[in-house]
Order: sequence, then structure tokens, then C-alpha cells
Amino acid sequence: MNGTITRPWGMIRKTRSFKDILAALWDLNPISKQILGICSALAVTVQLNTAIVMSIALTLVVAFSNLAISSMRRIIPRNIRIIVEVAVIATLVIMADELLKAFMYDISKQLSVFVGLIITNCIVLGRAEGFALSNPPFRSFMDGIANGIGYSSILIGVAFFRELLGSGKLFGFQVVPNALYDFGYVDNGLMVLAPGAFIIIGLFVWLEHTLLRGKR
Amino acid sequence: MSSRLKSILFAAILCFVCSAILTTASTGLQRFQEQNMRIDRHRNILMSVGLVKADQRYPADEIESMYAEFIKPLWVDQDGQLIEAPQEDENNLPLYIYKKENQIEAYVVPINSRGLWGRIQGYLAIGNDGSTISGFTVYKHSETPGLGGEIEKAWFQKNWVGKQIVDRDGEFVSVSIAKGAVQDMIPPQKQSNYVDGISGATLTGKYLTAGLKEVLKDYEPVSIKFRKNLIAEPPG
Repeated sequence: MNGTITRPWGMIRKTRSFKDILAALWDLNPISKQILGICSALAVTVQLNTAIVMSIALTLVVAFSNLAISSMRRIIPRNIRIIVEVAVIATLVIMADELLKAFMYDISKQLSVFVGLIITNCIVLGRAEGFALSNPPFRSFMDGIANGIGYSSILIGVAFFRELLGSGKLFGFQVVPNALYDFGYVDNGLMVLAPGAFIIIGLFVWLEHTLLRGKR
Repeated sequence: MSSRLKSILFAAILCFVCSAILTTASTGLQRFQEQNMRIDRHRNILMSVGLVKADQRYPADEIESMYAEFIKPLWVDQDGQLIEAPQEDENNLPLYIYKKENQIEAYVVPINSRGLWGRIQGYLAIGNDGSTISGFTVYKHSETPGLGGEIEKAWFQKNWVGKQIVDRDGEFVSVSIAKGAVQDMIPPQKQSNYVDGISGATLTGKYLTAGLKEVLKDYEPVSIKFRKNLIAEPPG
């Protein structure tokens, strides 16, 4: 660091939420470290637009499901807790789906079933069961945000490479110059298909594990 | 209170709260969703006649003004006559006319076919010769993304343009989805009646082929009129 860290930034760095976000981004990343939520990470990362909308939807769902479950954690009967968790998550996911259909129709059509499949995304239920049930609401909410950001970082990273290499575009705008195509450059068709996502995610996991090993 | 009773009570209250939230959201947003769906259907009709490109985004009011200018919703009666007002007769079929300077360029038939997982809904536009397809679009389906779901993609839909719904002798045969690439699978004299299939989606292709044939058969009376050049101007 350059030594000019302002005070608020220093304060933020000391908070638990910040540490949670850092952990979810790196040491405990839900996708690349815990290998959760792979299904949607394969399906919606052909373009940056869909990946970003999916990331926002999932982050909000995890955060609010954590918040709701954590607020109810003392009164949820233990024997039906999974049912309660799934009911809360399903309600939030349907809300997200309805909102997308009302205000971002094109993107909701592209995401098709995958918004609905957030319900079965292991990250959401995993955080509800593993964190929200035993922690106070605010920390649970921030944990949801943290894990959402961790998920988003991989999703957007994968989508960046897939859209760039697969269709030569970013956010739907052509970035690979036409001159390059004239020289015989061809978009990598594999990147548009699901196996391309597997390869990119695999490379991300590899990269992270290598870097983490070097640190220890 | 016994723990079992508590569980049941908790579940009941939770269900009630969740359903109340969902009902509110769904009724509150319905108006926006319906408008989106209507614009999407209009965009698909425009796309099937080639006025709108698949890979381009258009603002909603541009779609609506283009739709108002070029497309006219009509009905077909049992004899294949185009009629303006939908009379109380369930044998009348809906049809959209693409008109340019009061000349009919193409007519658009709504498709509602069986698919593998649910209904496939879309449009098939046929040129004013009554036999050449000028476009095919899908606006609603529940096929598997990446497999049958490819029916909504531009690469699949652009294969339809220029195909024929009649054979070389002018007899109605509908248009079918081949199992694989048309060039390898279909004899040359029949190639104009087939489009390339999607690998991994044989059943979607099969059902859609059957559904299309059914729909086009219903519209055959009006198609024949177009083939015989009996219709050139929209009624009214």
C-alpha cells in the first residue's frame, strides 16, 4: 500500500463484513473453492449482460434469504427448518423472476429457467443452513452479500473471457477489430458452448489454488 | 404447546405470509409483464417478415410504430377468405398481414405446436406467393436450453427463409425439420421442404414438424388463394 490510506477505509478494512467479503472472494470462494453453484455458472456466462443480471439476482436472494432466516432463527422449529429455508428462498426467487419479467424482459428470456434454478443453487441453501441459522441478522445479511460477490466475481470473470473469445464482443459491443477477422482470426466456437465454461472455470480454480499455495 | 403443533402452526403461518407476498407481487407486476409480452409478440411478427433483425435491440415504441404501420391483424374464414372483424365463429383463424403500400407482401401464421416439454409458440411468415417461407420465429417455449431451446436462436431460424411448403408439383407438403444437416440427409429434390435439425433435439424437431403441418393444413385454404393469386390487397 502507498501509505495514504484514509481513515474510513482503514475502518472498513477492520470490520467483520469486509473480512467476510474478502474470504468469500478468495479463500472460501463458493464457486472456485467450494465448487458450488456450477450449473448456473455454466449456463449464463455466454454473455456479460446475463452473467451480471444473474449475479445481482443471486446476491440479493442470498442476502435476503439469510436476513429472513436469521431473523427467524430462534422460532424456526428445528425439525422443519430445511422446509422453511426452501420456502423462504423459493419466495424470494419467484419475486426476482417476476421483477425481471416486468422490467428486464429480454434478459429474463435469455436467463430462462436459470433464475428459477437459483432455488436449487447450493450456495443459497448452504449459507442459510450453515451461517444464517446460527448468526445474527446483520452479519447473516453481509455474509449473503459476501458470498454473492464471491459468486459474481467468478461468473463475471468467466463471462468476460467467454464473450471476448467466443463472440469477440463485450456487453454486446464488438471489441475484436474487423481488421483482425480479415487476417483470418476466427472466434472460438467452443467458448459459446457449455464445455468452454467448464474449461474456463477449471482454469480459474487452478489459478486460485496455485496462488493460494504459494502464499502458505 | 407441543412441538408438533408448533411446527404445523409455524409452517401454516409461513405459507400464508409467502403466498400473500407472491400474490401481491404477481398482481402488481402483471400489467408490466403483459405489456412486455405483447411487445415481444409484435417484435416476433416483425422479425418473421424480416422487418426487424434478430440480433439488434429496438426500443418498445419503435416496435409498436412499425407494427402499426406494416402489420394488420385479420381473420381467415373456412373458405380461406380474409375478413376484418372476428365474427362469433370459432372456425375463424387469426392471421397477420404484412402490407406495404396497400399490397400484401406476406402473411404471418401463428404457430402453437406441441414440444418436448410444453407448447411451442411462434410465427411463420409466408410470402404472397403462398408457398415460400419468409421467416420463422419462436417467442415462447419450454425446451431444454442448449438443445431444443436452440429453436429460438437466429442460426436455426435463418435456415427457414426461402423454404417451400409445397413440393415441386405444387402439392402441399408442409416443411419439416431434418435429423441433421439437410444437405447430407435429404435427397436434392426434397431439400427445399426441409430445414437443418438441431443435434440432441430430435424429439423437439419431430413434434414441431408435426405441429407445423397441422397448423399449415388449417391455413391451406388461404394459402391456396395466395398461390392462385386471388388475394393481393387486404380487405377494407
